[in-house]
Amino acid sequence: MKKYISIVVPLYNEADSIDELVSRILETTSNFDFTYEIILVDDGSTDETWKKIEQLKASVPHLRGIKFRRNFGQTAAMVAGFDHACGKFIATMDGDLQNDPADIPRMLKLFEDDSVDIVSGWRKERKDHFSRVLPSRIANYIISKSTGVRLHDYGCSLKIYRADCIRSIHAYGEMHRFFPALASMTGARVIEMPVNHLPRRFGQSKYGFSRIFKVFSDIFSMNLIIRFSSTPLIGFSICAFPFGALMVFFGFLAIIATFLGWTDGKPGFFLLLTILNLKAILMLVLMGMIGELIVANSDLTHTDLPEINKRNLTIHSEGTGNDLQN
Amino acid sequence: MICKTDISVAILLDEQSPDIANYVQALHHIFESREVAFELVIIANGTERFLKSHLDQLLRTCPNIKAFAFPRKVSQAVCVRAALKESCSEILVMCGSYQQITAEGLGTLLDAFSDDVDIVCPWRHHRVDSALNQLQSRLFNKFLAFITGSQLHDLSCTTRVFRREVLEKIRVYGNLYRFLPIMAKQKGYRIREIPCAHYQERGKTGFYSVSEYIGRLVDIGTVYFNLRFSRKPLRFFSIIGSGLTAAGGLIALWVFFQKLFLEMPVGSSSELLTAVILMVAGVETAGLGLLGEIIAFTHGRQVKEYTIEKSF
Repeated sequence: MKKYISIVVPLYNEADSIDELVSRILETTSNFDFTYEIILVDDGSTDETWKKIEQLKASVPHLRGIKFRRNFGQTAAMVAGFDHACGKFIATMDGDLQNDPADIPRMLKLFEDDSVDIVSGWRKERKDHFSRVLPSRIANYIISKSTGVRLHDYGCSLKIYRADCIRSIHAYGEMHRFFPALASMTGARVIEMPVNHLPRRFGQSKYGFSRIFKVFSDIFSMNLIIRFSSTPLIGFSICAFPFGALMVFFGFLAIIATFLGWTDGKPGFFLLLTILNLKAILMLVLMGMIGELIVANSDLTHTDLPEINKRNLTIHSEGTGNDLQN
Repeated sequence: MICKTDISVAILLDEQSPDIANYVQALHHIFESREVAFELVIIANGTERFLKSHLDQLLRTCPNIKAFAFPRKVSQAVCVRAALKESCSEILVMCGSYQQITAEGLGTLLDAFSDDVDIVCPWRHHRVDSALNQLQSRLFNKFLAFITGSQLHDLSCTTRVFRREVLEKIRVYGNLYRFLPIMAKQKGYRIREIPCAHYQERGKTGFYSVSEYIGRLVDIGTVYFNLRFSRKPLRFFSIIGSGLTAAGGLIALWVFFQKLFLEMPVGSSSELLTAVILMVAGVETAGLGLLGEIIAFTHGRQVKEYTIEKSF
């Protein structure tokens, strides 16, 4: 049986590179034996991007296009692609020609091992300036360490997913970097493969310094989400720990002040501080319990066993949209 | 279901307006003169008996008027949802309990609705209500525009023309129907504001009750939060939380410094108490944000972040 792959490409103001991009993809697909579709997602471009896509429609039969009402970001564009894809495998790549579609067949080969769910590209020889590479290295290190999914290049857009695996995760905001980490929460197995990296030909890079700050704050909150959303009570209890230490400390001072007549402070004052910390602990633990309640009633089933592939065991219910009443 | 009408007109009847029969007939007349296939859907919000007594004859004689009633008063958003469910055409005209803009005004609204627009809102010019009312309304809209960055001038008027998709995709609840254009704008829908002549004002004149003002302020806050942080609540809460914790930490360091190097007794200093309270409040705030983030992550699956204009 031939493999059916959907290639999803988010495009934002890439009118110059579309023709080249599509012809490169077609070059690859014509040489290899698989069924495919190309889904170009116009993420609210302000230039001729959508016009170009519509022009290509006539000459490329496997082309599909989605036009957003406004710019919703790369993650949303990818998710729209996932939602509309028909393939059993879904590849994502950048629209700026920095990824080489010729890597796709090699990556697909890795799926012959049934336990693999995601193949992530690794731009081993990056053609970027050092100022881009360094923050990206740091980010990759932090994400790998904190999520436990070790990849050299989270930022590489060229990745291939099993369709059911990527659809089971709930992605929004700026999460596309974390797809492998998020998917591994539900038991997916992620491997990486070195891919080509081509220098930018058209237009300007859409990254800047403020971007780096945003990426790092995203890493921070994603970490919290990945850690807390399966076991909130534990997370909140850890947060309560410092207050526990303070409570013991102030309680100790209150006892000394009461029984030894220590003159530096009034016992009532230390008692007040002790109770204040106790209250903080209580609140945090209660929040953790509410968190457990939220997670228990959610439609996600998290499993924390990455070595066992649970793809066929967990059933992720798709949103039915019937809860519109408030 | 095959829809035979071009325009559905929904009247959200919130109150017992005495000239409802005239109003419905006027609307009927406006659309009949435009020679379009239309239907009138009246949603009585807790005014069932009133509706029956006043519109009985009209309902019997006109086949294209439908009426539905909520036995008890519900929020406006629920009425909008009901109107959406009971109507079928692609274009929906929402109207309030009484005629707010003139017949010509409504005509210009409908004329302005074209393929490249999703919502048409009126901007009531030559207002006929009292100067105080106008001032309050203007302040409300100015403040709202300042907070949300919207360009709209008159969100107090409930008469609006919608493309069906907008009402289906934008989830409003509670009091948020008023702000629907702003929320739709954020999802990429195109809005046009058309100046219209004001017909009459039936609402309360003069000052409202205090709770009314507080309610409107809270509504604006809700819209602001929903627009900016509903997908990433942690960012909002952690800004506040980290500020509080940092302030507490700095004060604690100062107290520590005093004790160690200035050898001042800190045992009952109010600084120490302040520091601890600030830190506790900061961590609790951040914790609440995290709870919000968990809710957004685990329960937001049905809500798609993007809206699609075209696809093939």
